Amino acid sequence: MATIAAAPPYTTAKPAPAETGLWSWLTTVDHKRIGALYLVSALFFFLVGGLEASVIRAQLARPNGTLITAEQYNQLFTMHGTTMVFLAIMPLSAAFFNFLIPLQIGARDVAFPRLNAFSYWVYLLGGIFITVPIFFGMAPDGGWFGYAPLSTRAFSPEHNMDFWVLGLQILGISSLAAAFNFITTIINMRAPGMSLMRMPIFTWMSFVVQFLVALAFPVITVALIFLQFDRFFGTNFYTIAKGADPLLWQHLFWVFGHPEVYILILPAFGLVSEVLPTFSKKPLFGYPVMVYSGILIGFLGFGVWAHHMFSVGMGPIADAVFAMATMLIAIPTGVKIFNWIATMWGGQIRFTVAMKFGIALVGMFTMGGISGVMHSSAPADLQQTDTYFVVAHFHYVLFGGSMFGLFAGLYYFFPKFTGRFLSESLGEWHFWTTLLGMNMTFFPMHFSGLYGMPRRTYQYDAGQGIDTFNLISSIGTAILVVGTSFLVINLIKSWRNGARASSNPWGGATLEWSIPSPPPDYNFAELPQVKSRYPLWNTKGGEKLVHETTWEEEKNIRIPTAKELGIVMPNPSILPLICAIGLLVMFSGMLFTQSSMPTATAIMLIGSAIWIGSLYSWLLTPLEDHH
Amino acid sequence: MVGTFRLQRPWSAVLLGALALGLTACGGVYPNSTFNHTSEFNTAIDGLFSTLLFWGTVVFVVVEVALVYTIFRFRRRPGAPTPKQVHGNTVLEITWTAIPALILIVIAIPTVRTIFKTQAKAAPNALQVQVIGHQWWWEFRYPQYGITTANELYLPNGRTVNFELKTQDVLHSFWIPQLGGKRDLISNKSNYLWFTPNADLPSSAFNGFCAEFCGPSHANMKFRVYAVSAGEFDQWTAHQKQPGIFPAAAPAAPAPATPGAAAATATAATVAAATVAAGVVPAAAPAPAVPVYAFPKEKLEKDFAYTRPTMPIPAGVSFDESLLDKADAERGRQVYSRSSCIGCHAISGNMMSAGVVGPNLTHIGTRYTIAGGLYPNDAKHLAYWIKNAPHLKPGSIMPTIGKGQYDPVRKNTVTLGGLTDAEIADIVAYLQALK
Repeated sequence: MATIAAAPPYTTAKPAPAETGLWSWLTTVDHKRIGALYLVSALFFFLVGGLEASVIRAQLARPNGTLITAEQYNQLFTMHGTTMVFLAIMPLSAAFFNFLIPLQIGARDVAFPRLNAFSYWVYLLGGIFITVPIFFGMAPDGGWFGYAPLSTRAFSPEHNMDFWVLGLQILGISSLAAAFNFITTIINMRAPGMSLMRMPIFTWMSFVVQFLVALAFPVITVALIFLQFDRFFGTNFYTIAKGADPLLWQHLFWVFGHPEVYILILPAFGLVSEVLPTFSKKPLFGYPVMVYSGILIGFLGFGVWAHHMFSVGMGPIADAVFAMATMLIAIPTGVKIFNWIATMWGGQIRFTVAMKFGIALVGMFTMGGISGVMHSSAPADLQQTDTYFVVAHFHYVLFGGSMFGLFAGLYYFFPKFTGRFLSESLGEWHFWTTLLGMNMTFFPMHFSGLYGMPRRTYQYDAGQGIDTFNLISSIGTAILVVGTSFLVINLIKSWRNGARASSNPWGGATLEWSIPSPPPDYNFAELPQVKSRYPLWNTKGGEKLVHETTWEEEKNIRIPTAKELGIVMPNPSILPLICAIGLLVMFSGMLFTQSSMPTATAIMLIGSAIWIGSLYSWLLTPLEDHH
Repeated sequence: MVGTFRLQRPWSAVLLGALALGLTACGGVYPNSTFNHTSEFNTAIDGLFSTLLFWGTVVFVVVEVALVYTIFRFRRRPGAPTPKQVHGNTVLEITWTAIPALILIVIAIPTVRTIFKTQAKAAPNALQVQVIGHQWWWEFRYPQYGITTANELYLPNGRTVNFELKTQDVLHSFWIPQLGGKRDLISNKSNYLWFTPNADLPSSAFNGFCAEFCGPSHANMKFRVYAVSAGEFDQWTAHQKQPGIFPAAAPAAPAPATPGAAAATATAATVAAATVAAGVVPAAAPAPAVPVYAFPKEKLEKDFAYTRPTMPIPAGVSFDESLLDKADAERGRQVYSRSSCIGCHAISGNMMSAGVVGPNLTHIGTRYTIAGGLYPNDAKHLAYWIKNAPHLKPGSIMPTIGKGQYDPVRKNTVTLGGLTDAEIADIVAYLQALK
C-alpha cells in the first residue's frame, strides 16, 4: 500500500556538497543540526553529571569517607541533580524533539527555526554558566530543589546559590521558547492527512511534554524570581526573620517539580513506543489508550505535587488527597507497561541494542513505578522520604526509565541522524554493563534507605548496617562508568566510520524512514500525503510488512539540493546566538550587585543592549529569501 | 544476529545478584531499621509497608514474568511469517486498567485510615517535648519538668510523647527510624508528632537523624534516644531538674529550675563563686541531693554499640593529650567562666554561663556524645572539639577557641582570647565533672 504520495525524486547526478565549518554550526537554523548540537552538548553534560556522581559514590564507598569535604559534597550532589535534570535528560529529549518532530509529521522544519537556534544557544550558555563555578569551588550547594530558607542570603551568603537562581532562569527561557515552538509546529505543520490520531506516538508524547513545560516552567520562574529578589534586593518572600513561610517555596517548586518528572520520562516513553513496534514488527498495542494515558499522566501530574511534602505537616486531609491522587497516576502508567508487553506479544522480536534498552526500560521502570506507589502511601512515606529508598526509586525512574528510553532512541535513530549505524557489538557491551551497573548501584539503595540512611549526607558512621550496601552501590557506579565509556567510544567511532545506513534500515513505519539517512536539509522533497498511522507499513496483511532498505541499493542514488528542487530554505543567522549571549551577559551582571551596583548595572545594560538589539535586527530580517 | 542464549546469562546474573543482596539484607544487624514494632506509630507504618510490599511484589512478578516470557516466546525465528497486525483489544485493556485500580483501592483504604489515626491529637496526658532544630544540633525541652538538654533524648516507655517541632534557623527533619516516621521542622511554625514507645520495650538506645538537608553539617546533625522504663525516666528527670552537680558547688536545696533560666539557680552559683573568691577549695564534695541518672554505660556499650560515633578526628589539629591527666576541674570552671564559652552556653549552677545560642551544658558529663552526635563524649574528643570545632565539624557555628588555630569558617587565626591546650584541658575536666 503506497501511502506516501511521492517517493523523493532521487537522481544520479553528482552529490551535493554539504555545508560545513564552525560558522555554519554557529548560524544554523536547521532543526536537524540543532538536534545534533543538543545531542552532543547534552551527552557532554551527562558525562559531567556522571563524573559528579562517581565522586559522590567514591566518597560514600566506606564509612567516614574523607575523599572530599562536606562543602564539596554538597556542591557535587546539587550539581549532579541540576546537571542531570536540566542539562542532560531534558536536552537529550530536546535533541529528539528537534530532530524527529518535523520528520515525523512531514514538515520542512520547525515553525520558528531561529527561535529554535536561540533555545539551543540559551541552553548551552546557561549550562556553562551554572557548571563552570564548580571548578572554583563556587558551585550551587543548596540541593537541586533549593529549599528556602537555606537558599536565602541569610544562610547562603556566598555566590554559590546565585549561580543556581540565575542559571535556572536562563535555562527556563530556553525550555519555554522551545515548548512554544514545538506546540506551534505540531499543531500547524503536520503533513496533509496526518490527523492528531495518526500522529506518531513519539510526537504525541512530545506534544504533551511541551504543554507540561509551558505550564510548569512559569511556576518555577515565579519561585526563582521571588528568591532572586530576596537574595539581591532584600525582599521577604522567604525571609524567615521577617515571618515568611518557607513552605511557599516548596509548594511552588513542586508544582513545577512534579510535572518536571513527566517532562523527563514521557519523551523516553515515546521513544520506546517507537522502538518496540519496529523490532516486534507489530503496531503499537492500543495506540489510542497510549495517547490518552500520556495526556492523563500529564494532567494528573499537576495535581500531585504535595506528595513530595508528606513530612512537612500539611494535615491529614491534604495528605489523604495527595496520597490518593498520586495512586491514580499509577493506573495510566501501568496501562502503558501492559500495552508495551502486549505490543511485543505475538511479534517477531529482534534483539538489537535499541530493542534491548527498550525492553529494559519496561522492566526497570516498573521497579521505579512500584516503589513510587510505596511513597504515595503518606504514612509509609514518613519512613522513606529523604532516605536512600527515595534515591533508589527515582534513579529507577530516571536512569532505568528516561535514560534507557533515550539510549534506545539513540541506537534506533542514530542511523537516521548521521547515516551511520552505532556499532551493535560495542552497544552490547554498553547495554549489559549499564544494566548490571545500574542495578548494582541503585538496588542496594532500597535497603540502605529502609535501614535508616538519610540522603544528602557526606559521610556515615561505621557499624550502622549499611556499609555493604554502600560499597555495592559504589562498585556499581564504577561499572556504570565503564559502561558509559563504551557508549562514548561507540559514538566517536561510529559517527566517523560506522556502517552506512539506508533510508529505512530497521523497517520503521513512520515518515522519517521514507527519506534518506541523513535527511537532506529540506527533509521532504515533496510533502507527503498521510493516509494511516503507519504510512510505510502494509498492516492489512497478505503482503510483506515493509521493505527494509539497504545501503547497497541506495548508495548510487544522488540526493538533489534544495536549490535544484526549487525549495526555499531559511537563511542561516548568527542573531539567535548573539541574542543568547546578550541574555547571559545581562544575567551575569546580577552577580555584581552585592559588590558594586554601578558595575552590575553597567553589565546588565550592556547585556540588555546586545539582546534587544539583536532581537530587533532578527525581527527585521526575513527568515528566507524572497521567492 | 544476537543470540538469545546470550540474553539469558546476564539477566540471570542480575536476578541472582538481587536475590543474594536480598538474602544479605535479611541476615545482618540493622540498628536504624524502619521495620521495627517498638511503638504504635512504626507498627502501623510497617503494617502499611507490608501491604505495599506484598502488592508491589505481586505486580512486579506479574509484569517481569510476562515481559521475560514474551521476549523469549516471541523472539524472531527465521522464515516466520509477518506477525498478525493487532492494534489493540478493548477487553484486555479495560482489564489491566481495572485490576491495578482495585489493587490501589486495597492500598488506599489502610493508607487513609493510618493518616487520620497517626495525625489525630495526642493524648492529653502525653509527655510534652519541645524539639528545636539548630544548625547542626538538637535542643530538647521538657516543659512539664523544666528541663533543657541537647542531642540526647530520654523517653519513658509506655507513655505517649508529643513532640512540638520548631526550628531556630533553616528546615530540619526529626527522625528516629527505629521508633517511627519523620516530621519536618518548619521555620515560623510548630509541627507535631506523637507516638508511644511500647510499654514492654526493654530500656533501649536508638539513633536519631536530621533528614532534611540543612547545610554543610547536615550529616552531622544526629541525636541519641534512650527509651527507658517509667522508673528510670523519673530518676532521670529528677536529676536533670537539678543544677549541674559540680564538686565545688553541689546544691543542698536546689531551686526549681525553669528552662533556660540559669538565674533560678543563682544561689548555688553564688556560693560557688564566693568559695572561689575566698580561695577555698572544698576538701570533699557534699553528696548530691538527687542521684545522677544516665542510661547505664555498660549496657550502652554492650547492647547498643551502634550509638557510639565512629568519625575519626580529622588530621590538621593536634592536642597535647598528656595535659588531660594533669587538668583540674576547678581551674577549668574558672577559665570557662571567663572565656567566650559563656556567651553561647548555659550551665544551670554556673551563674556566669547563661548563653542560649549553643547547647545547654548543665549535665554534659552525663551525655555520651558531643557536637550533634558526631563524636563520643570523652576527654580527648572534647579537647579537640573545644580547640577547633569548625575543623572537626564543617560549618560549625561554634568558633575555634584554641590559640593560634585557624578557623576554617570565619577564615581567621585565633589570637586574642584564644585558649592554650592547658586551659582547654582544664575546661574539659570541668565539663566532664558536670554531672
